[in-house]
Amino acid sequence: MHHINIITMASLSEEVLLVVKRVRQRKQDGTLYLMAERIAWGPEGKDRFTVSHLYADIRCQKISPDGKAKIQLQLVLHTGESTTFHFANESTALKDRDATKELLQQLLPKFKKKANKELEEKNRMLQEDPVLFQLYKDLVVSQVISAEEFWANRLSLNSVEHSLSNNNKQEVGISAAFLADIRPQTDGCNGLRYNLTTDIIESIFRTYPTVKQKYAENVPHNMTEKEFWTRFFQSHYFHRDRINTGLQDIFSECAKEDEKGLKSMVTQGVKNPMVDLLSLEDKTLDEGYGTATVPTTSNSSNKSLRENSNSAIIKRFNHHSAMVSKAYTPLDVILTSLFVAFQVKLQEAIEYDDLQGDSGRKTISLNLKKSDRYSHGPIPLQSQHYSTSQDIINSISIIQHEMRSYKPRLTQVMSSSAASSAITALSPGGVLMQGGGQQTINQLVPTDVQSELKHLYTAAGELLRHFWSCFPVSTPFLEEKVVKMKSNLEKFQVMKLRPFQEKIQRQYLSTSLTGHLEEMLQAAYNKFQAWQMRRMMRKT
Amino acid sequence: MKLNIDGLLVCFPYDYIYPEQYSYMLELKRTLDAKGHGVLEMPSGTGKTISLLSLIVAYQKAYPLEVTKLIYCSRTVPEIEKVVEELKKLMDYYTKQTEAKNDFLALALSSRKNLCIHPEVSSLRFGKEVDGKCHSLTASYIRAQHHCNPSQPVCQFYEEFDAVGRQVLIPPGIYNLNDLKDFGRRKGWCPYFLARSSILHANIVVYSYNYLLDPKIADLVSKELAKKSVVVFDEAHNIDNVCIDSMSVNITRRTLDRCQTNVETLQNTISRIKETDAAKLQEEYRRLVEGLTEANVARETDMYLSNPVLPDEILQEAVPGSIRTAEHFVGFMKRFLEYLKARLRIHHVVQESTPQFLKDIYEKVCIDRKPLRFCAERLRSLLRTLEIADIADFSAITLISHFATLVSTYNKGFTIIIEPFEDRTPTIANPVLHFSCMDPSIAIKPVFGRFQSVIITSGTLSPLDIYPRILDFRPVTVASFTMTLARTCLCPLIVGRGNDQVAMTSKFETREDFAVIRNYGNLLLEMSAIVPDGIVAFFTSYIYMENIVASWYEQGILENIQRNKLIFIETQDAAETSMALMLNKNKISANGVRNIILIKCKRLFISFSFQPPVHHYGRAVIVFGVPYVYTQSRILKARLEYLRDQFQIRENDFLTFDAMRHAAQCVGRAIRGKTDYGLMIFADKRYARADKRGKLPRWIQEHLTDGSLNLTIDETVQLGKHFLRQMAQPFRQEDQLGLSLLTLEQLQSEDMLQKIAQIAQA
Repeated sequence: MHHINIITMASLSEEVLLVVKRVRQRKQDGTLYLMAERIAWGPEGKDRFTVSHLYADIRCQKISPDGKAKIQLQLVLHTGESTTFHFANESTALKDRDATKELLQQLLPKFKKKANKELEEKNRMLQEDPVLFQLYKDLVVSQVISAEEFWANRLSLNSVEHSLSNNNKQEVGISAAFLADIRPQTDGCNGLRYNLTTDIIESIFRTYPTVKQKYAENVPHNMTEKEFWTRFFQSHYFHRDRINTGLQDIFSECAKEDEKGLKSMVTQGVKNPMVDLLSLEDKTLDEGYGTATVPTTSNSSNKSLRENSNSAIIKRFNHHSAMVSKAYTPLDVILTSLFVAFQVKLQEAIEYDDLQGDSGRKTISLNLKKSDRYSHGPIPLQSQHYSTSQDIINSISIIQHEMRSYKPRLTQVMSSSAASSAITALSPGGVLMQGGGQQTINQLVPTDVQSELKHLYTAAGELLRHFWSCFPVSTPFLEEKVVKMKSNLEKFQVMKLRPFQEKIQRQYLSTSLTGHLEEMLQAAYNKFQAWQMRRMMRKT
Repeated sequence: MKLNIDGLLVCFPYDYIYPEQYSYMLELKRTLDAKGHGVLEMPSGTGKTISLLSLIVAYQKAYPLEVTKLIYCSRTVPEIEKVVEELKKLMDYYTKQTEAKNDFLALALSSRKNLCIHPEVSSLRFGKEVDGKCHSLTASYIRAQHHCNPSQPVCQFYEEFDAVGRQVLIPPGIYNLNDLKDFGRRKGWCPYFLARSSILHANIVVYSYNYLLDPKIADLVSKELAKKSVVVFDEAHNIDNVCIDSMSVNITRRTLDRCQTNVETLQNTISRIKETDAAKLQEEYRRLVEGLTEANVARETDMYLSNPVLPDEILQEAVPGSIRTAEHFVGFMKRFLEYLKARLRIHHVVQESTPQFLKDIYEKVCIDRKPLRFCAERLRSLLRTLEIADIADFSAITLISHFATLVSTYNKGFTIIIEPFEDRTPTIANPVLHFSCMDPSIAIKPVFGRFQSVIITSGTLSPLDIYPRILDFRPVTVASFTMTLARTCLCPLIVGRGNDQVAMTSKFETREDFAVIRNYGNLLLEMSAIVPDGIVAFFTSYIYMENIVASWYEQGILENIQRNKLIFIETQDAAETSMALMLNKNKISANGVRNIILIKCKRLFISFSFQPPVHHYGRAVIVFGVPYVYTQSRILKARLEYLRDQFQIRENDFLTFDAMRHAAQCVGRAIRGKTDYGLMIFADKRYARADKRGKLPRWIQEHLTDGSLNLTIDETVQLGKHFLRQMAQPFRQEDQLGLSLLTLEQLQSEDMLQKIAQIAQA
């Protein structure tokens, strides 16, 4: 490993965390650098990076399985691209790769959150809004405008509103069967293979906090991650009877720790008197009375080993279930429900809701963002065209809600007459749009063309909105933008509109279909030219 | 609404009523009119408590001279509080209707632990500690000492109560435990003693069974309650066991050892007092010569002990001379103790009747029957004379003296069994003397004899005729009410075979069979996949449950169940179990998720007899096996024999009755009310037999068709699925109206009244 002296090619302010030599990328030898915010690779003998990825852009890393001839590490980006590095130094290749992997493993999660949030947000918006999604396809995927431009004035609009709804986000629970789901597979030679995903690891950590603590203590100082999990699965802790844990087992402490936790919970006592079995009985019989033979001195010495292990299993299941159910009950809920007055509980207990006149049942409804996804499971994005009746009902109620709280900001709108005259002027047949025909198109053209036309309209509308929003051009930024938007419009005309026109020509339909669109574009061009003329005049 | 029940105006605090509630009130009214006792069975979740309260309160208001008091006995503290809460609702309705001020006094009474407001004492966790501490602050001689020596601590709440509160009546109202405490805090009076003195003039008293059935407590608390009272035993399906428990005594070697130390302490104290204050002992001697009539004078706080069923003649007679002086009595106790020790030094099981025992004791150590009878009373007097503060220490000698009195008082209905070791561990010597009561009627007899009407009611009392027989009383009304349902919301199924056609049964010979265990596991697994909410599974015994759970674990069945639901398994540690229950409760309230399986042991469950928590989980209840008692127990054998000889109840009948009432208790938890629904699965082929099936409550039997007997697991799943889907459809009030839910107008229509008349069946 080398030190900072060769880092002239990186900007000096960057801190280099790891340098690995003899790493091949696309059959070219080079050096891999891990810096504070990005990973970069430069070919041998050149003083610039040909590959450079911000950590935030990296979705995950993959490594080649042990025992493969080539020792490789692949980075998969959020965009779906991937870059593969081949560690070619024969003697230390494996070590190099693992060092890189470990470091990345620590670095990536830090950046992940930030990147993920934004991505998720965008993803969510696209999923929720089919029109936007279509627009995105029309404009970004076909490279009319770049993704940044597309998102530029959308995210800000929504982020506020969304962060509000984010506040009461529902936490994802833990599946009760997550341990059962880790099915070991035999690898053919007397071994077992466990496939662990991050989800499972997360579940284990949340269910058994002591294991998490152990992990933090031991990985990576004392053992590698793999070793840790190997030991975990070998330990009695994971397996049934925890009583026979040997001393060499690092998890023996966990068992004790859990026991302690359980005990302390028990000694704290149960706050809900309705389920406190100890205080149910009002006046217990004194010692010595009664027919029930008291289990006299049932010490552990008395019990057989089998009985002991049986009760250990029962304990383990209860503990597991308690931890799982605790893991998805936020602490404050536990606390508040502890202090819910006993009176309320009594009231609940004596209610007969059907005897009462109006039975206002209080239920806690599952807060589903997308109920259809809940009932159908995840579905590909394309099938978002339909809307369920629930959606419609929801949206109506949302609109009603919005309308109720709607307050026109009268200072910022133009008068209604002006607005309507502007719309008529811009509609086909209006003052500005003289050329276009006035036939209704829905009888004349097939539906697929109609829908395509619709998409073109929305796309053009979006672009034009961007364009017109630049006026009056008051800042250099807007100037730049307006120029860009104009070129975008032209691009749109060339890439989208022209092919469409040719297509309808081929189908012998009237080209006047797109007349209005072209007029709108033309209006924009005219405006642009007028603006440019004026600017030139001013400059000269 | 206001109802006309056979000429009585009853205010019912709801706008609607179930037909069976109306019918229940009718029967109840007839019982009260006849001034007799009644046995009434009505399914859980049909508003039994409120019907009872509404009618009896109305009756009290209409005929204040006929019925002066309602004594409502329930089993657990939460149940007691629930009853008072319903009463509050009823009284609110009364005040709203009549706009007159409420002049009723109703209160709950519980042990000191639940009522104490003394900052130090109430912080103690166990009932016994609280009692002991309280006694050490409030006993009469402690207070007398406090007079001369103010540094002696006393309880200021009790002092205040004694000085002021005793004369002032507590204002009318409904007092739950917390209300009593609040009232006590406001006034600075002790709520416990306030409640105890107030029950004498209260219109309604709600407390637990033991205050009436356990003679040791009843003598102290309920002695002076008016004869014209109505006593209600709610959840009374286990009442015979409560009676038996309160009269039975177990003596182990440890008890005797502790008794030995007690005797020594007594001896030392006596010799010390003799030196310092011989007059005191003289005074006691004089009193004993005069007889025990002064027992009544004893102050209520001096709860040294009260006698288990003091026969009246004892109170009139003087204490026999042989145990009148303190030293003689201690010597007498020593001799008795030595005799018991000798009896425990045996190597084979002995069973004998009480006359045999008395004869033997007379022959061996020359102890007569008469002084034995006075033993408990004599000890009580001695402990008071010696001013022993901590009575908890003397529990062993108290127990022995109770035993002495009981054994010499009753010739019949008791048996003595001495076992040198436990059956499970024949190598470890652990001798126990069981003095076992076999006749529940002994403890309850005073109650039936004294009070004008005693109502025994529960959701599961079938077969109805057996309770009057074993409790030895003659009821004027015996009725079982069914649940009128707009839809069949309960679905009892009897699963007799696995998919492999192997019979499923917990019969002793086959219960460890691999196929049986596997089939039981498969049943639970399949059910866990189709039941939307919680499942409660019951086993016949704790050990059996442990074994099954372990083998399910080995077979990977539990793992598969975990995919569907979380599993909680009852442990023998009550604290741990309630913890698990609490965690679950929280989860339910937080997420609305109820995917849990509770695995419980039936016997343990019954002994705790808790009702509330299970409600929320039981969308399906599975009973694995028939919950027979452990039939090899000698105590049980003796009791069965006694039942056969005295009451002509055959062993098998009683065993089946006992098993079926437990099973019915378990499955009864599945239904919380008419809007609820639940599967009841009996997983044992023996349930299909007519003798078992016929002993289930009528409201369950009705829905048990021939098509649902002896099913395989697959068939069960199919039927269950179908049922659950149907039940999951929205169910509105309108669907019920007119059928299982009535408005006042509907109730008054002629044909409805006719229908209602058919609901009750004897």
